[in-house]
Amino acid sequence: MNARTAPPLPPSRPSRTAASLWAIVVGGVVIAATVGLRIDWSELGDVPGDVLRYSTLMFADPNWERLPRALFEMWRSISMAWIGAILCVIVSIPLGMLAAGNVGPSWVRLPLRVVFAIIRAVPEVIIALLLLTVTGLTPFTGALALGIAGIGTQGKWVYETIESAQEGASEAVRAAGGSTAEVARWALWPAVAPALMSFALYRFEINIRTSAVLGLVGAGGVGSMLANYTNFREWDTVGMLLIVVVVVTMIMDAISGAIRRRITGGPRITEKRSRHVVGIR
Amino acid sequence: MRSAPQRPEAEVTPSASGSWSIRLDDVSVTYPNGTTALRNVSLDIAPGEMVSIVGLSGSGKSTLIRTINGLVPVTSGTVAVGPHTVNGMRGRRLRSLRGHIGMIFQGFNLADRTDVYRNVLVGRFAHTPIYRSLLGITTAHDRELALRSLDSVGILDKVWTRAGQLSGGQKQRVAIARALTQEPSVMLADEPVASLDPPTAHAVMNDLRRVNAEKGLTVLVNIHLMDLARMYTTRMIGLRDGRLVYDGPAAEAAESDFEQIYGRPIQPDDRLGS
Repeated sequence: MNARTAPPLPPSRPSRTAASLWAIVVGGVVIAATVGLRIDWSELGDVPGDVLRYSTLMFADPNWERLPRALFEMWRSISMAWIGAILCVIVSIPLGMLAAGNVGPSWVRLPLRVVFAIIRAVPEVIIALLLLTVTGLTPFTGALALGIAGIGTQGKWVYETIESAQEGASEAVRAAGGSTAEVARWALWPAVAPALMSFALYRFEINIRTSAVLGLVGAGGVGSMLANYTNFREWDTVGMLLIVVVVVTMIMDAISGAIRRRITGGPRITEKRSRHVVGIR
Repeated sequence: MRSAPQRPEAEVTPSASGSWSIRLDDVSVTYPNGTTALRNVSLDIAPGEMVSIVGLSGSGKSTLIRTINGLVPVTSGTVAVGPHTVNGMRGRRLRSLRGHIGMIFQGFNLADRTDVYRNVLVGRFAHTPIYRSLLGITTAHDRELALRSLDSVGILDKVWTRAGQLSGGQKQRVAIARALTQEPSVMLADEPVASLDPPTAHAVMNDLRRVNAEKGLTVLVNIHLMDLARMYTTRMIGLRDGRLVYDGPAAEAAESDFEQIYGRPIQPDDRLGS
C-alpha cells in the first residue's frame, strides 16, 4: 500500500448557514419573550418563603372531614375522564384511519388532517367554556369537552401508527384482490390494534389529569371542589384535596400503565389457545 | 356457530380454474422517483410452465413479477395474463383479476397477530362481497377451500395458531395456502426462500414444484440462487439492469450464463448449497 496517496476527498459538506440563521432567530425570540414579560426579579427571593408558608397551611394538618365528598368528586372526575376517552377513541379511530396516507384518498385525508390540527390548537378549557354555554354546568359537559379536545391528538396518533405499520400484509391482501377497506380491516387493523388500545388508555390517563383542570371552569368533579375551597381560603381542606388528587391519579396511572404494558408486550404465556371448533363466523 | 369438518370430504379442491399464459410485450417501468426498473422486456410464458427469474437485487425481478398482477403499473408496453390485459385495468375489475393470480413474498406478508385461519381466508376476498369479508362472515365453501389448502401444504394443525408464532418455513407455507385458496390460474413467488434456511428453502421450492406439477399451474419464481433455479424450474429468465439478458432451459444454464446475468463472477452466496 502506498501511504503517500492523496487523502480521500469527501463530498463537499452541506451548507449550515440556514441552520445557524434559524438558531439566531430562535434565540432572539426567547430573549424578546423574557423582556416582554416584565418579570420583577426582585420578588424571586420571596418565592421559597411563600411556598413554605402555604405548604404548611395546606399540609401540616389536612382537614379530612370532607374526605368522602372529595372521593365522590374524584370519582366523578374519573368517570368524566373515562367517558371522554371513550368518546374520543370511538370518533378518532375511524377518522384517523381515513386520514392515513395508505388508506384514505387525498380529498378525505387532507381536510381531516386540517380538522385534527385545528382541534389540537384549541385547549380543552376553551372547548369546555364554549360547550358550557350550550349544555350547562354538568360533568357531561366536561366529558364532551375531553372527548372533542382529544380527537386532534388521538387522530394524529392513529394515522401515524397506521402509516408506520409494516407494508407486507397490506400488499398481500391487495395482491389477493382485496379492496382498501379489506386491507384496513385484515392487514392494518390486526397490526395496529394493540398500539391503538394502548393509546386509548393513555388518553384516559391524560383525561384524568385534564378533568381536574376542567373542574376549575365549572365542569364539575374534584376540580370544582378544589376551586371552591381555594376561593374560601380553607387551606387545610385544599391540602386534603390535593393529596386525594395526586394519590388517586397516581394509582389510576399505575393501573392503566400496567394494562398498557400487557397490551403492547403481548401475553406472557403463548400457545395457550386451545382448539376451537371451526366456525367463528 | 357452525362447525366445518376438520378434514373436509373430497368435492372442492383448490385447483386451477384453468392455467393461464403470461405475455409481456415491450414492457418498461419507470417509478415516480425516476428509477427505471424494466426496459423493453418481452416475454411469452405458456400455461403450466415453471419459470425462474434470476438476477441480482435491483435488477427488476420484483418489478417484473408485480406488473403481472398490476401491483406495479407499467409505463409502456402491454402485460397480458390469460385472456386479460392487465395494464389499464382498475378498481373492481383489477381486483377480480388479482383474485386469479396467487402471490407469495420474501417476507411472507401475513398478518402476524391474526390466526392462520383468517390469514388463509384472505385468499377468498376477491370472490366475497365486501360486507361479508369486513365482518368476517365466511361460507362453507370458502372455509373448506381454506382448510384444504392448509392440508395440502401440511400445516392444517396450525390453523388456530397466530401467524406470528410460526417459524419462517411454516409462515411461507401459510402464505402458499393463502394463494392456493384463491384457486389461482397463475402463481407468482417473489424471492420465496430468501429468508429461509437451506432445508426449509428446499421444502418450500418443493411445494411450489408440486403446485406446478399437480395442478398444472403456471408458476413464476423470482430467485437469486442459481442452484435452486436449475433444480426446481424448467425455464430460466435472466434480468440485468431491467433488461432481459437470458431466456432458456434452466437445467442447461452454464456458470458463464449466470456470470453474464449477474455481471460479475459467481460468488459462494449465489448458491444455496445443502
